[in-house]
Amino acid sequence: MANQSISSQLVDKLKSAGVNFFVSVPCKLLAGQIRLLEEDTDVCYLPVTREEEGFGICAGASLGGYMPCILMQDSGLGNSVNALKSLVQFFQLPVVMLMSYRGSPGEPVPAQVPMGLLAPELLRLMQIPILHCHQTMDLDNIAPLIEHARVAESPVAIFIDFQLMEGDA
Amino acid sequence: MNRFELIESLVPVLEDTLVVCNIGIPSQELFAICDRENHFYMLGSMGLCSSIGLGLALTTNKSVVALEGDGAVLMNLGTLATIGNRAPDNLVLLVIDNGSYGSTGDQATYTSEATSLAVMARGGGCSNVIECSGETTAGVLADALSAKQASVIVSKVIPGNRPLPVVPIHPIVLRERFKKVI
Repeated sequence: MANQSISSQLVDKLKSAGVNFFVSVPCKLLAGQIRLLEEDTDVCYLPVTREEEGFGICAGASLGGYMPCILMQDSGLGNSVNALKSLVQFFQLPVVMLMSYRGSPGEPVPAQVPMGLLAPELLRLMQIPILHCHQTMDLDNIAPLIEHARVAESPVAIFIDFQLMEGDA
Repeated sequence: MNRFELIESLVPVLEDTLVVCNIGIPSQELFAICDRENHFYMLGSMGLCSSIGLGLALTTNKSVVALEGDGAVLMNLGTLATIGNRAPDNLVLLVIDNGSYGSTGDQATYTSEATSLAVMARGGGCSNVIECSGETTAGVLADALSAKQASVIVSKVIPGNRPLPVVPIHPIVLRERFKKVI
């Protein structure tokens, strides 16, 4: 699998761990995954207009028996706190949050950094487990994290570093 | 007709559907009129009833009715574009439009002035949009459900709320009993 793009490995890891429903708010760091999902006929995928809306749709999909995932920038976490606390966490629904980590080295947009730096601490404060993927081998922890989401009936967060996505197809 | 009277008239039509009900007094009124296991009372997250309904409709074959409010839709307008483009045939978004934020003291919403949610839904891409009076809504909903196509119903009623307690069901109990009937 050495030649497989990081985007493709990520989507495969999520799908093989049982994720079968995806929504996205766009990020250039996640463009590869979004392109793959647009063409993937095995899973349900739809773009949404805002992160909060995405969490509502994921909550509905979770009630419907699916394992949902939202692709988003970490800055979108700021738009999502109430939806997470009073819906996803209140009803204890497993939802996977795949987030570009815009606070990491390689980030070209200064305004992305403050929310990026806050995001891990905010997630810890919200008691949401985090997997931070700095390098390819970290992707092996995705399956255990998603199993943990099922067991803990909790949302879980995956951060993807700029440097991990460097040179991806 | 006000919201309580409207919900009373809808309850027979909702029996064989999955109902996602808007936060606050709408849920309290539905609970007081008729509590069933096919009702998902939101309890929190204002604005997301239509989104929860969409996610549910995409993952089940049963009919899903999202019982929304005008103020809540105004809080999540992007939902009209997502539903307009991606709603499956088993979703009905029923907006109870009383032109007021009933749960917070009946402050007026913009639908009591110049704003039309039916026009906004059509602009969002929704193709079956029906604006109707509260009195005719039960029949319109029954038709929409038997037509088996995604629909948006904007039901015009007058403001007014019943003084009722918060829905007294634990969220996990609510989740589990709802999942059993999906």
